[in-house]
Amino acid sequence: MARENILVDTLVELADNLVDDFDVIDVLNLLCQRCVEVLDVDAAGVMLASPTGELQFIASSSESMRVLELFQIQADEGPCVDCANSGQPVVNESLTAPDERWPRFTPRAIAQGFHSVHSLPMRLRGRTIGALNLFRLETGAIAHEGAHMAQGLADVATIAILQHRSALDATTLNAQLSHALNSRIIIEQAKGIVAQTLNCDMDHAFAALRKFARDHNQGITLVASMVVGREVAVSSLVNPATKGPAS
Amino acid sequence: MKALVPAERLLEIFGLLARHSHAAPARGSLCSVAAEFTQFDGANIALLPESKLLTALCSSNGTSGALLELEITLGEGPTTDACGSDDVIRITNLGDEDQTRWLSYSPLALANGAVSVYAFPITIGAARLGALTLFRWESGELSEAQESDAYLMASVVARAILDLQAGAPRGSIATQLEREAHFGFTVHQAAGMVAVQGSLNVSDALVALRAHSFASNQGLSELAARVVTRRIRYEARDGVWYEVYRNSE
Repeated sequence: MARENILVDTLVELADNLVDDFDVIDVLNLLCQRCVEVLDVDAAGVMLASPTGELQFIASSSESMRVLELFQIQADEGPCVDCANSGQPVVNESLTAPDERWPRFTPRAIAQGFHSVHSLPMRLRGRTIGALNLFRLETGAIAHEGAHMAQGLADVATIAILQHRSALDATTLNAQLSHALNSRIIIEQAKGIVAQTLNCDMDHAFAALRKFARDHNQGITLVASMVVGREVAVSSLVNPATKGPAS
Repeated sequence: MKALVPAERLLEIFGLLARHSHAAPARGSLCSVAAEFTQFDGANIALLPESKLLTALCSSNGTSGALLELEITLGEGPTTDACGSDDVIRITNLGDEDQTRWLSYSPLALANGAVSVYAFPITIGAARLGALTLFRWESGELSEAQESDAYLMASVVARAILDLQAGAPRGSIATQLEREAHFGFTVHQAAGMVAVQGSLNVSDALVALRAHSFASNQGLSELAARVVTRRIRYEARDGVWYEVYRNSE
């Protein structure tokens, strides 16, 4: 199959996953396999930064120990660590021992038959969330076009992870949005009540609600709902002598 | 259950969104993209929060906006139904004689120019956000390709809304989402004012506003704006609306 077709197929599968909830590991494994097919590399893997900043192996084109070991070892040092720290791609690095940069990683990679390595950052709004790691048996550069495509696949991997996260959080986020909309509606209603009662404009009405909320150490939504429910008289909003809400 | 989504269609949506937000960074780009992408004449998006007050998010043009406002005024219509449904609401021709689904909405929507309407629920998993409603100014079926495009668009809309909202402070609507939206909160300010004028609770005040909007044939947001600027008020004693004339005008 031609390169472009494989790339399109990859996107098709990812797009399908975008619509439904999906297992992010499946998607990233698939992506790694596609990297091997499309980019003329021999192994590919994804490492993601944990919240504490350490890299963790997530997915790979191959389950063989020969390949997996090369990701495990990169928890401490290696092209992925450099790439994730700097946010810059590490491309076309030939591996020769001894290697001062990666004294532990390079000999293991060579022992497994790999002679060049690439690592592409997975970036989101200026932050690097992980790296896509590519290995080749031979030394030598991947074509410019290949490097471009590799970065494209790294970007797709980033999107896949984000979509997964937003799918996981959808219920919570939607509940928050629904709650925020309701609060806002109540605040607007309360502004109307205050504006009419005090014969002021909406900005002054909002300022009165906010000041009362601050003075009584209450949330503005609570104060607004008390105004709407007529549990607190509007006159008391602007009259500091009047008592606040019963708590 | 679902056929494979053509990746090119998804890329097309992203391309259109990028283009629209460049051309008009202001409001409603999600709706404009939805209409353009699905090849409909108009689109609107509405949210249905827990309070069940159908809330406009955006419209692709004035007619679509008026149609959504009509629905909010009347309390019935395709968007309302789609919000509570798992299925697409399909009306090939609002003028069909057997079209008795919405006795008030259908004739008025026709008068506003809508003939066929299709409304898609906006959901992600179990989360229900609202609905994407697509209009055509003439009678027409929904093709299979359009249906699959509209599903994809609704899915992108859902994620776009939640992505915009993500990271907003607790209890607040994200600034970016508000920039994208046309929420029409003036109606609720007006309801607050009318509640005081008429000694009503705010829900009844909103009903009074909707009823007067319908009876006097003026848009709900137009009426609300007139209440807020004190050009019209509601009298508690006799339940009548009074125009307010000022010498300075």
